[in-house]
Amino acid sequence: MKSLSEWIIRYRWAVIAGFLLVTVVLGIQIRNAEIDTDMKDQLPKNMQSRLDTDKIDELFGGTEMLMVLIRTEDVLDPATLKRVRNIARQVNRIKGVDKVMSLFDLKSIKGEEGAMIVDPAVRRIPKTDEERESLRQELRDNDIVYGVVVSKDFTLTAVIGMLRDNVPDEEIVAEFEALIAEQDGPEEIIIGGLPFIRSQMGYNIKRDMRRLMPVAILIMLVFLYACFRRIRGVILPFLIVIMSILVAMGLIPLLGWKIHIITVILPVFLIAVANDYGIHLIARYQELNIPENPALRKEIARLMFESLNRPVLLTGLTTIAGMLCLTGHILVPAKQLGVLAAIGIVFALSASLFFIPAVISLLPRSRPVLITQADSKARKPMLERLLALFGEVVVGRPRQVLTAFIIFAMISAVGAFFIVVDTNPANYYDENHPVVHASELIDTYLGGSQNISVVYQGDIRDPKLLHKIDDMEHDLEKMDEVGNTLSVARVVRQMSRALNDSGDVFYDKIPDNRNAVAQYFELYSMSGDPEDFEKMVDFPYEHALVTARINKTSTILLERVVERIQNMVEGDPDVLLVGGFGVVLSDLAHAVVNGQILSLFMATGIVAILLMILFRSVMAGLISAIPLGISMLLLFGLMGMFGIELNIATAMLSSIMIGVGVDYTIHFLWRYREERRQGLDYSDAVRKTLLTTGRGIIFNAFSVIVGFTALLVSTFLPVRFFGFLVVVSIFTCLIGALVLIPALCLVIKPKFLEPQR
Amino acid sequence: MKYTITLIMFVLAARLMPQSLTALQIADKAQDAVRVKGLEAVATMQIFDDKGNVRIRKIAQISKLTDGGDTEKRLIRFLEPSDVKGTGLMTFDYKTGDDDIWLYMPALRKTRRIVSSDKAKNFMGSEFSYADMTPPSLDDFNFKLLGEETVEGTLCYKLEWIPKDDDIAEENGFSRRITYFGKSDFVIRKSIYYDLDEELQKELIIHEVRELDTVLHRYRAVQLEMINKQNGRRSVLKNEQMVFNPDVDESKFTTRYLERE
Repeated sequence: MKSLSEWIIRYRWAVIAGFLLVTVVLGIQIRNAEIDTDMKDQLPKNMQSRLDTDKIDELFGGTEMLMVLIRTEDVLDPATLKRVRNIARQVNRIKGVDKVMSLFDLKSIKGEEGAMIVDPAVRRIPKTDEERESLRQELRDNDIVYGVVVSKDFTLTAVIGMLRDNVPDEEIVAEFEALIAEQDGPEEIIIGGLPFIRSQMGYNIKRDMRRLMPVAILIMLVFLYACFRRIRGVILPFLIVIMSILVAMGLIPLLGWKIHIITVILPVFLIAVANDYGIHLIARYQELNIPENPALRKEIARLMFESLNRPVLLTGLTTIAGMLCLTGHILVPAKQLGVLAAIGIVFALSASLFFIPAVISLLPRSRPVLITQADSKARKPMLERLLALFGEVVVGRPRQVLTAFIIFAMISAVGAFFIVVDTNPANYYDENHPVVHASELIDTYLGGSQNISVVYQGDIRDPKLLHKIDDMEHDLEKMDEVGNTLSVARVVRQMSRALNDSGDVFYDKIPDNRNAVAQYFELYSMSGDPEDFEKMVDFPYEHALVTARINKTSTILLERVVERIQNMVEGDPDVLLVGGFGVVLSDLAHAVVNGQILSLFMATGIVAILLMILFRSVMAGLISAIPLGISMLLLFGLMGMFGIELNIATAMLSSIMIGVGVDYTIHFLWRYREERRQGLDYSDAVRKTLLTTGRGIIFNAFSVIVGFTALLVSTFLPVRFFGFLVVVSIFTCLIGALVLIPALCLVIKPKFLEPQR
Repeated sequence: MKYTITLIMFVLAARLMPQSLTALQIADKAQDAVRVKGLEAVATMQIFDDKGNVRIRKIAQISKLTDGGDTEKRLIRFLEPSDVKGTGLMTFDYKTGDDDIWLYMPALRKTRRIVSSDKAKNFMGSEFSYADMTPPSLDDFNFKLLGEETVEGTLCYKLEWIPKDDDIAEENGFSRRITYFGKSDFVIRKSIYYDLDEELQKELIIHEVRELDTVLHRYRAVQLEMINKQNGRRSVLKNEQMVFNPDVDESKFTTRYLERE
């Protein structure tokens, strides 16, 4: 160890230059980083529901919808209808729009005096009240539009653009928004649909990046100054942070990755965590840099490195291990975040251990901050008094402290039973956000914003299969969570009503002979647009789609519906697959829960093993797992109590918490053992450790806490909750290390902490 | 004196040269060139989607000009595929006003009139629209002669059609159309359609033209191909047997006859 520290001092210029060079080379790559908001890109390529949904897109064309929602007292008001017609016309002319569904584009198929009439659902804008009411009645009977593009109470109508493949979200959304901005009139006109949610995400990711970074940096600078009250105490740890952010972000384009919503957490995570190692070094430096110490600056730099390289290295390793456990997360960007954060920490760790001593050895000794041990108690700062108080409490009543912790853990564990899983992107925003408002309108009035589709294969013109499709559609319709349904069977029925008079044997029926079905379709192709069917049956009539729209945003209900549908079609040879975005979200929920459990045990296990190796003791691993366990109980308890969902962001919490939170325990145990070896008894060793390393631990934990509070200003709810929870759980880990661990040491008196004989 | 001679020569020269046609005159002659008094044909319609899947419809067709040439009546009977065999389609194309269309479905033994105001609709689910299949009303368009060009070896007039207003454009489904008519026979050889956003939409190519009425010089296309440049679909109509028959029995154009499979 001594040779390594001397090596650092000797080649300090090379060390400094090396770190700066790596930072600059990687940092300039950041400008090549792209933002990706496509939710599908976040899913693993081999995920079954993703493959199934891709297959549906392949068979039936793109299913992406962007819509204009028009809300007013009565949408059949002539002035409103004129505006709707105008909007529909304009949407039809937008390049990226393949097909439009609206009152003026969808068809009305009806029979009148021996004729089948195929017309736009609203052919003429009513002039009189009688005309308006007869149109209303007509629309009620038209199940192609009723409850689909016009709400059943006629207060809401939608102009839905079915988009072509690969239309960039931001361009198409901008065109829709420009169109909406042009409209005048009293109606509330808003935009909705998944492409809008995604474009909002892209916009908000950029905004978050711009907003979170400065907030976090500012908080950190203030915090560091408050801790160390010296410029170098601020600059050095901060420099490490900036360098590690540049390195980690610069790697994104180099690895061929993109910035996703979750990536927003990366710079904030590094601001909060990457300075930890530097903080310990600076704290140690200030401990050494007291007037009594005659050592030269090089000597201090060397001592600083030697006394801290092992615990700092280990805390770094546990954090890296925790972050790497994120690779068990289902979402691709979360895996990437784990890798990037781990690399960022590797860099910050080595920079703290090499770069900081190298720089310190160059700088003259700063003015001392710490008061020497000789000073009177009364003049000690508050922090030290607080630590002394901890010491007295723990030393005085270790058993009571343990009991209090156990009770606390049991109470918080209760909440964990109420944890809810959620993966719906509409829930990324708070209730006042336009995305949420639009989704609510769609869910309440127009059937729902999530799709589940059942794909049938075979001869679709075969009445037997068509009957099956019809039955499935009816079963789906009966479910509470299903807003409306669509299938080719519905259109065949509608045609049968137009072609036959009521009372006729064929009226409102799927004909029971194949030729009749074929002739229905032929008839339609004579009078309607052949692309009208495109989203229900493929061109060769070999695949048909039954689509159910789900009007609940709750992922649990969604999962239940998906499960029910899957059970309904199980073993049916005519069903090719059950897919759609609803199934993807439900699948994701399973994966989030499973990934959570997996990464929880993986992270705890790895961290415990690392501690066992460091202290060469099984007990070390077990003891360190206790505060982690309590923090986790509190974490899940809080989530349950406050109704914070387990979602793609909060599912990353446990890995981060374990990786970061165990650090304080390590620092405490390391120093405590040293003090015991110096000959102090149990109680004095605890007091001394709290007063010395305790200070570094508190700075360290608070730097993490204040760093993550920046996430509270994020636009995304999951990120905000993530910030809140990480703050709470890190705080718990801190208390665990400063109170619970000392109490455990005093009660158990573990052998691995005893002086070697 | 010199001037007088020059003037006389100039006037003579002008009178000897064939008078050049206006764009509207060309369009009018083109309409006449395909007015066949009566016709019997068997045709195949191939409808391709963008993935290369194909639907094939084989039909028998008779048509006749009535009302002094103002109305074209047409009867189409499906021959293949077997599930739609016997399905009949009867259309009356009037010079003015909406066309009448009836469809007979043998599986239901029912005839239904199809009412539709929209000429831009696809014909038989193909890329051809009803508007493509029936002579348009020339009053609805402004014409412009863009010059002459050779299309597959035939020298053609290149004519631009612009609908006179937005309603007409919407009804016909295009904002602009460029059509190439053979200079000697006035038969269409090619047509390029621009959608309501003035983007290239469809291209019609006539692969073969046959003179059916050698007395009045009336022609019909043997093979027509319509390519949709926007969605990748394509349709080919091939007239396999085409016989000029001015004496088609007019009584065949009734719903009763339509139902006689």
